[in-house]
Amino acid sequence: MPTTPDDRRILLDNVTLERGGREVLSALSLALGEARVGLIGDNGSGKSSLARLFNGLLLPDSGRVRVHGLDTAADTAALPRRVGFIFQNPDHQIIFPTVIEEIAFSLEQTGLPRRAAAAEARSALARHGRAHWADRAVHTLSEGEKQFLCIIAVLVMEPTLLVLDEPFSSLDLPTRLRLERLIDTLPQQVVLIAHELDAFAGYDRVIWLDRGRVAMDGAPGPVVEAYRQRALERLARPAEPGT
Amino acid sequence: MISLYLARRTWAHRLPAWLKLGVLAGLSLVVTPLDSLPAMAALVAGALALYAALGREALRQMVLLRAMAPLLALLFAFHWWSGDPRLGLVAVLRLAGMILIANAVTMTTRMDEMMEVVEPLLRPLALIGVSPRAVALAVAMMIRFVPLLFALWEALNESWRARCGRRGGWRLLAPFCIQTLRLSNHVAEALSARGGVSRASRR
Repeated sequence: MPTTPDDRRILLDNVTLERGGREVLSALSLALGEARVGLIGDNGSGKSSLARLFNGLLLPDSGRVRVHGLDTAADTAALPRRVGFIFQNPDHQIIFPTVIEEIAFSLEQTGLPRRAAAAEARSALARHGRAHWADRAVHTLSEGEKQFLCIIAVLVMEPTLLVLDEPFSSLDLPTRLRLERLIDTLPQQVVLIAHELDAFAGYDRVIWLDRGRVAMDGAPGPVVEAYRQRALERLARPAEPGT
Repeated sequence: MISLYLARRTWAHRLPAWLKLGVLAGLSLVVTPLDSLPAMAALVAGALALYAALGREALRQMVLLRAMAPLLALLFAFHWWSGDPRLGLVAVLRLAGMILIANAVTMTTRMDEMMEVVEPLLRPLALIGVSPRAVALAVAMMIRFVPLLFALWEALNESWRARCGRRGGWRLLAPFCIQTLRLSNHVAEALSARGGVSRASRR
């Protein structure tokens, strides 16, 4: 939206991305300034690749990506603090054996000395009402608790953008709803990839990606409905590949 | 689940890390030149008493020895073959005792406490371009991922049994390695998303 300044927007300018010799994103141009943006599409449609362009895990083969004022190819050192990324499987994200270390690591990444980081990690846990988790071994946490820990560990770096790549896929419904509510309260810009289509109800904008291109872009209601319709149509024609 | 860290805090968690590591280092210096059978039997008995004092959860972690059994058996066989089974028994007891005690330290010490002690000792490595922080991180990640790798093995074993009705055994080794590599790929990605290791060493 024109009122959002560029240092709070994600700007893709004619971006093409290849992976393994296959073009996964084709000449994509987007300006995302809305507070809540959803990404939907079939598996292999390029959603995860697009999300990985936002934090520089992937760099475009041509075109430019600017995220909240940073060029993802040039400002690689500043990017991890600006863009928080939550992966599908929390076990891939958590790198320390205990909760407190996991959060302190993020804080040390921002330059805080070890002791200060540990103290700040404790108060971050307390702010989220989880002070008693500090010394727990992460392998004793449930899937939902692990995902919650990942989010706390990313939020302490005070990013301005939070990207979540299918964060709900291993969560039961109550846990998912709780996580959605937490995401709702965040001041950050949020980009959410999910197959749980009802999760986008309160979102400002949903983009449907299909084979590396934008199939539809707009308010969640119509985009989600069109996506659902297309899936049902395909079901009626079982010969078509890709289902 | 097998893990290298005891979730429930025990009295040993409260001891400072430098003390535990110091005692461990001292003990191994004392024990290495000894070859008296009673002394080694006492070492193992002491290790067992230590586990008993740490509680039920710690005793369960003694399955670790089962994984070590082939190595210990080989060690004993070698000594027997070279004509001194008594010395073989001493070597096996010494190794088993020290593994148990070292494991007890790992189980009851948080990684960051351990690294606070070890990092200054690693500092000379910086002279040859190895970041002590990177080494510390690697050790922490090993402790973190051991339970996960056990779970991964179990999951493979389950899907094998679901289709074949018996344990997979060594046949799981290849898929296990592939899955482990995939896992490490994901973890590396997540680590770079949070700024990577090099950034942390720049303080």
